[in-house]
Amino acid sequence: MATLVQVEELRKEFGKVRALADVSFNVDAGEWIAIMGPSGSGKTTLINILGGLDTPTSGRAIVDEVDVARLDESGLTRFRAQKIGFIFQQFHLVPYLTAVENVMLAQYFHSTTDEKEAQLALERVGLGDRIEHLPGALSGGEQQRVAVARALINHPKLILADEPTGNLDEANEETVIQLFRELHREGHTILMVTHDPAIGNLADRRIEFAHGRLVKVTPSNDASRNAYR
Amino acid sequence: MFWRLLWKLLRGSGGRLAVAILALVSCAMVVSALLNLEFDIERKLTQEFRTLGANLLISPRNAQITGSSPAEVMSESEVSAAIQSAKDPNVVAAAPFLYIVGSAQDTPVVIAGTHLEELPKLEPAWRIEGAWKISEAQQTTCLVGRNVAQQLRLAVGSSLSLTYLKKNAQLKVIGIIDAGGAEDNQIFVELAGAQDLAGLPGEISFAQLSVSGTTAAISHYAALLASALPAYEVKPIRQITEAEGDLLSRIRLLIVSMIVLISVLTALCVLGTMAALAMERRQDVGLMKALGGTIGRIVTLFMAEVGVLGAAGGFIGAILGVQLSRWMGQRVFGQAISSRWEIFPITIVLMVAVSLAGALPLRLLGKVKPAIIFREQ
Repeated sequence: MATLVQVEELRKEFGKVRALADVSFNVDAGEWIAIMGPSGSGKTTLINILGGLDTPTSGRAIVDEVDVARLDESGLTRFRAQKIGFIFQQFHLVPYLTAVENVMLAQYFHSTTDEKEAQLALERVGLGDRIEHLPGALSGGEQQRVAVARALINHPKLILADEPTGNLDEANEETVIQLFRELHREGHTILMVTHDPAIGNLADRRIEFAHGRLVKVTPSNDASRNAYR
Repeated sequence: MFWRLLWKLLRGSGGRLAVAILALVSCAMVVSALLNLEFDIERKLTQEFRTLGANLLISPRNAQITGSSPAEVMSESEVSAAIQSAKDPNVVAAAPFLYIVGSAQDTPVVIAGTHLEELPKLEPAWRIEGAWKISEAQQTTCLVGRNVAQQLRLAVGSSLSLTYLKKNAQLKVIGIIDAGGAEDNQIFVELAGAQDLAGLPGEISFAQLSVSGTTAAISHYAALLASALPAYEVKPIRQITEAEGDLLSRIRLLIVSMIVLISVLTALCVLGTMAALAMERRQDVGLMKALGGTIGRIVTLFMAEVGVLGAAGGFIGAILGVQLSRWMGQRVFGQAISSRWEIFPITIVLMVAVSLAGALPLRLLGKVKPAIIFREQ
């Protein structure tokens, strides 16, 4: 399988604090990677750099043959619009836009809007009857499913999910994880930050961080996958 | 999607934006009222100044009265022809005068011959007891100054015998004038009667004109008359025209200063509101950037929102301002100020500019870093 993400000697420092220390790993296209580790271990920093939200101090972060470290502000903006689908723990939906408009917002910044396509994306995540609802009228799980629809609408090369189930109850977590399983089956490449070992076990590999260093890479197996509730 | 987003932004921040739009409507209302006043002030003020009397004088080069008759006289027809040919619609009144010193009841009096029907237009501030003119032949009637009437015990309807040298005229008093000046010591008769009495047919001492317009316009008209009447002196009465021009300039300066001051204060008010809004919107902007929104596209969206606010505030304010200017006109000048259509585009453009100036904090949203915003949460 072709390599989609190449991380080489990646380092990120915030003043004297080293968030990432010479991290290197590769991700193949279609792989589901779980990034794990304690708080402050550099997981979110890594996601931010790979998603073009932040720039590294040194090293290379290549996504779909684009070295994110070499892009300027406008290049990063274009990169985010064309190659990345973000899913955040806090959902980050615009509160005064309906579910379908939140999805269309990603279309708007990518190219042109297509309301029908946005509706289909919401139907796909099981929210066909919630299209015109504002985020405030949706449950946490429903909001996260809107965020998933938004992340998928522009057919991104890479889905970056930062603790997507961190704010969800058990039932909603299961629904969202089911969505990720489907995405994985369809061949999407997913990098997901999670604290939950059970969810981490569902990924193809678990990459564990501590104090900004990559400390362990563990391939999952069918037994561990089946261990999920 | 742009307009959809714009509409949602306006709806989503309704409460916060209500403060800004209230400030913009108030500002636009006062600005449009002041602009209306500014556009109409010249007409209103010149109307007011015309009550002060003539502001242009045509006289012989060495005008003076020696003894009982004028030393220098002018041709009435020449002056009249020059005024007619100039055809200035701003001429409110024009009256020729022939001054002689005669006597009434053995008392010396100044006799002013003029077109009596022009006097109320030339001197609107003069008060009269009786009438300016009556239907019967004007040559047999006269107007008498308040002091003369007292001295000679004359009343409206009295008969008066005027003598000049060896000529005599029998006149009926049709009005007593209270001018509050030297005119109260004069007797006003029809010009033809005075010319007949003085033996100076077709001759006048000088002519007075009341001309509306700016100092420059009056000077221009005076120059036009002067070129048509090279033998005579044509000059604006400085105290009146200069006072008029000076007052007009001061009022205009005051109006422009107030417009600038109010606009700056409104921009500051909008600035405060937008600063609070910018803080609220940091997360939305961070998200939009994360989704691939360019700085230009995001800031344009917010600026359009502010522009719509400014335009709406300007339009509503301009409508209210027209009403306010009408009320102000009634209070200050006793009549409504005419509405000008130009007020609307000017006020709207000004309010859009004020709101965009006040939206400076929103422009700073372009500097928002999504990673920092998300990290804060």
